[in-house]
Amino acid sequence: MTTGYHPLVKRLLDGELSLAELPPELRAEGEEALRLAGAADRAPVALSPALEERVMATVRRHAASPGNRAWRWLNTPRDVELRLRVRPWTVWAGALAAAAALALLLGRPAPEPVPGAQARGDMRDSVLVRFVLYAPGAHRVAVAGTFNQWDRAAAPLVPAGTSGVWTTTLALPAGQHQYAFVVDGARWVVDPGAPAVNDGFGRRNSIVAVTAPGAHL
Amino acid sequence: MRTIGLAVTLLLGATLAGGLAAQAVQPRLDQRVSPEVQRAVQVIAADAMAHGLPVEPLVQKAIEGAAKGVPNDRVIAAVRALAGRLGESMAAVREAGVAAPGGDVVEGGADALNAGFSGGQVSDLVRVSRPPHDPALTLRVAATLAALGVPTKQALQLVQGTISANRSPSDLLGLPGQVQAGVAQGATPAQAAAGLARAAGGTPPGRLPDWVPPGQQKPKNPHKP
Repeated sequence: MTTGYHPLVKRLLDGELSLAELPPELRAEGEEALRLAGAADRAPVALSPALEERVMATVRRHAASPGNRAWRWLNTPRDVELRLRVRPWTVWAGALAAAAALALLLGRPAPEPVPGAQARGDMRDSVLVRFVLYAPGAHRVAVAGTFNQWDRAAAPLVPAGTSGVWTTTLALPAGQHQYAFVVDGARWVVDPGAPAVNDGFGRRNSIVAVTAPGAHL
Repeated sequence: MRTIGLAVTLLLGATLAGGLAAQAVQPRLDQRVSPEVQRAVQVIAADAMAHGLPVEPLVQKAIEGAAKGVPNDRVIAAVRALAGRLGESMAAVREAGVAAPGGDVVEGGADALNAGFSGGQVSDLVRVSRPPHDPALTLRVAATLAALGVPTKQALQLVQGTISANRSPSDLLGLPGQVQAGVAQGATPAQAAAGLARAAGGTPPGRLPDWVPPGQQKPKNPHKP
C-alpha cells in the first residue's frame, strides 16, 4: 500500500515527521496518506461467525485425544509422600548385588596378566588344515566341530576321485579344536588318524592341534 | 527383618545373574536346541555365571549334543557334568595361585580333567606355565597327550620338561603330533613321550638323568664294559 509513497511521506506515516515538516510539494500526498491510514485503522474487522466455532471444535478434539490425555496425566505434578524404613546394611548389600550384576554384564572377570600373552596372540593366526577321511560308499561327508558350531552343513568334504577318500581344507585359528566327521548327514565318525576324547555323550571327539607353521593331526 | 533383608538381597542377586545368563545364552541356543534343553541350559549357565565360570563351553556342548541328535536328557546331563568340571577346574587353577582365571584357562582345565588328569595335576600344569607359555595352552596340550594314550603322570612330566627346557609355545603345541609320529613308527604312546622327554632336555623334573619310564629298559652305556 505504501510502495508508491515518497520516503518522507513514509516517515510521516511512521510518526517520525509531522505534516508541517514535509516540503510543500509533498503535503498533499502526506495528507492523502494519513487519511487512508486513518480510514484503514478505523475499519472494523469482520470475522465469519463460523470461524470461532471451527477453531473451538478443533481445540476440543485435540484436547480429547488419548495421547494428549496421557501426556497431561504424565506431566501433571502430584505430591507423593514416600517413607522408607531400612537398615543401612541392607542398602549396602543391595548396592553390592547391583554392582556384581553390572560387573557380570560388562563381561567375564578380566584374566590376570598370566604368562603367554604372546602365545595367545599367536593362537589367533589362522592356518590351513586338511581333513581327510576314507569313507568308501559314502554319499556325503562333512566335518563339524567347535570351529563351526558343530554345523553339519558348514564344511563338506569332496571325494578325491573314486577311491573313497574324502577331503577338505579349512582355515582354522591356531590352538586346539574338537571335531568329528558326519557321514551321509547322520553318522558321526571320529578321525581315525587323530587323538580323541570323550564327548560327554558316550561318543568320542577328535582333537586337532594347530600350530602357527602347520597343523598336526 | 534382618533375615528377610538378606533373603531379598540374595534373591535379587540371583535373579539378576539368572537374567544376565539367559540374555547371554538364549540367542545362541535359539533354533539350535529344543526348548527343554534351552531352559535347562539357561539355569545351569546362570549358576555357572554366578560362580564366575565361563558359559560358552556350556552353550557349545548343548549345541554339539543337539547337532549329534543326542536325546534331551543326555544333553542336559552332559552340560551339567561339564559345568561341574568347570567348577573343579576353577578351584584347581585358583589353587595354583591364579585368583581370577580367564575363561579359556578354566575351560582348558576342564578339558584336562575330562582327559583323566586330577585336580592336583591341573594345578601343577598351571603352576609350571610361565611366560611365554599360556596356561590354557599347556592344559590343552596335556589333555591331548592323555587322549593319545600317554599316561597322565608322564604327560605332565613331558609338558613340564618342555617348558623347563625353554621350548616355545609352538614346540609345546607340537608335542601331540610328535607323539603320534612316534606311535606311527611302532612305539607305544608312553615310549614316544619318553623319547620326547629325553630330547626336550633330558629327564623329567625330579628324576635322575638316566631315568626311563617304567617298563622300559635303560639304554646300554657304551662307555661301560
